[in-house]
Amino acid sequence: MLTLDALKQFGADTDDGLSRCMGNEAFYFKLIGKVIDDSNFKILEDAVAAKDLDKAFEAAHSLKGVLGNLALTPIYEPVCEVTELLRAKPDVDYSEYLKKISDKRSELAGLLK
Amino acid sequence: MNRSTDLYVDGKRRILVADDEIVNREMLENILCDEYDVLLAEDGEKAYDLIRQNRNTLSLILLDLMMPKLNGLDLLSRLKEDSDLKGIPVIVLTSDQDSEVESLVRGAADFIPKPYPQPDVIRARISRSIELAEDRQIISATERDELTGLYSYEYFSRYVEQFDKYHPNSEMDALCLDVNHFHIVNERFGMAKGDEILRRIADCLMTVFSESDSVICRKNADTFLVYCSHRDDYSSITDKVSEVCSDMPTSVKLRIGVYAYCDKKLDIRARFDRAKIAADLIRNNYMVYVSTFDETLMENELFAEQLVDEFSKALAEKQFKVFFQPKFNIAGDKPVLSSAEALVRWFHPTLGMISPGKFIPLFEDDGLIAQLDEYIWRCAAETIADWKRRLGISVPVSVNLSRAEMYDPALVNTFEKITSDFGITSKDIYLEITESAYVRDSDQIVDRVKELRNHGFFIEMDDFGSGYSSLNMISELPIDALKLDMMFIRNAFDKQNDTRMISIVIDIADYLGVPVIAEGVETEEQYLALKKLGCTIIQGYYFSKPVPAEEFEKFLVEKDS
Repeated sequence: MLTLDALKQFGADTDDGLSRCMGNEAFYFKLIGKVIDDSNFKILEDAVAAKDLDKAFEAAHSLKGVLGNLALTPIYEPVCEVTELLRAKPDVDYSEYLKKISDKRSELAGLLK
Repeated sequence: MNRSTDLYVDGKRRILVADDEIVNREMLENILCDEYDVLLAEDGEKAYDLIRQNRNTLSLILLDLMMPKLNGLDLLSRLKEDSDLKGIPVIVLTSDQDSEVESLVRGAADFIPKPYPQPDVIRARISRSIELAEDRQIISATERDELTGLYSYEYFSRYVEQFDKYHPNSEMDALCLDVNHFHIVNERFGMAKGDEILRRIADCLMTVFSESDSVICRKNADTFLVYCSHRDDYSSITDKVSEVCSDMPTSVKLRIGVYAYCDKKLDIRARFDRAKIAADLIRNNYMVYVSTFDETLMENELFAEQLVDEFSKALAEKQFKVFFQPKFNIAGDKPVLSSAEALVRWFHPTLGMISPGKFIPLFEDDGLIAQLDEYIWRCAAETIADWKRRLGISVPVSVNLSRAEMYDPALVNTFEKITSDFGITSKDIYLEITESAYVRDSDQIVDRVKELRNHGFFIEMDDFGSGYSSLNMISELPIDALKLDMMFIRNAFDKQNDTRMISIVIDIADYLGVPVIAEGVETEEQYLALKKLGCTIIQGYYFSKPVPAEEFEKFLVEKDS
């Protein structure tokens, strides 16, 4: 079960995230549960694989907003980097970033169980 | 005091959050739901639909820029191009600094960055944007009636809508308040006094109706509209208004039309139309000051409107038929047909036969009566000519003239033309002019009647006894017959069997040297009594109801034999 301590340990800025949830811990956890299932993670990976960088950018951009609001820093930061890269569209290898995002997402998902 | 904010005291302003990320939507909803009624949209199209549906009640839009179907910037442009929607402030939600500037250029009121700032910062920015937008609206439009400080009608309607939204279960009344004979106040005492009276009424209404459960406006001149929680009795308001105006040079009385327990499915205008119909009903009633609408009033009003609307078509299609009711001279042993009265009937294709009592007063109000009357005159003339040609016989036919027609300088020409068109003479058409026509502007009317008589037309004064002719005036009137008002006959025989009034009228007619015609005679008893009293001519169901021209021919043939 998710706890604030676990989230802190994970690296989330829980004070910041909780304040946007009006201090309501249960609500905060509920929203975190939703972001884990956000379809934009998969859209991002698929679009990068298909070299549809516009679509990938949109997905990353959306994720960035949500992860920032929930202050899930360890995922938020790599998503920000990917978003900026995709905005500029350089021909780079995104796999390292995507892996980092995927790993952190799995780690967070593990905390929820 | 800014009253536009007072309306929200019990309720909440409505705002829309448009963002494709459910987490963002729920987070904002959670931050705002205590203070606002929050609508949610997950894409641009849905947002646009909701904005249009709620255009009159939406206080603000929180708009994410990157959304499926219709992106935020395009939606923003669409809103700013629409005069109905451009006044709703939009705050853009964005994590890109570049977009912030572009949003403001495209008309956004403000932006909120992502990740979101602290909830109180969000709330403050929203509240500030709403306030600015509302102030701007109030400045740019005439929300207030300058004279009284009440709402103008345009704003009133919007506030009524909002009131309904926030008080969906309140039982509401729509009131229409008019000052009796206000135009005379302005005329007699000047505009300044008139304005002072209107201000006092407005102040009085504001004390009577509390702002928390009512909305008030001045619609025009002396008409005030009030939308308020239901009350059983409004009569005390007219007294209060009279009281606050007691030092004015004339007494001030309001008449109030009430549409109680408004059907909220009706639009606002329709609700106040109903109140107005009720108010108009007591326009000339000096004893009753409050009148309540009921559905039969609306039915009558709609029926009246339908008749007026369909008049031209009915005339073109000859739906109006002229009937003839015989008048008999009863001076001798046996009644003898002396003349007839032409009476109109309306055979409506779907409504069936409509009684003239229902449409003549309407057409008199609308000025359509002139067309109808001339149509009847021509039909009557044509029939007279036809009888003469085919049967070699005819009797004079009287036609009715309305008061308004007596002012027409071409009236004599019209009748001259009709008689010449059909090859008949002025002796063939009698003119019935109602007594009440003589009373107002009598000089002008009397001159017109003299003119008609000089051209050979026979004048019957219709409905004698229903108006207020002075005996002095009657002696000078240019008339050829007195037609007794039907009510005389009814009253004389219905109740106390008192025929003395009839006897007096017959004496007056004798003095003037003209015959008395009694109409509405229905029974043998009435016929015999009138004959005994010396009444010369009788018309009524006792002899015959009004009949079509073909049927009337039997009276002509009978007379001829």
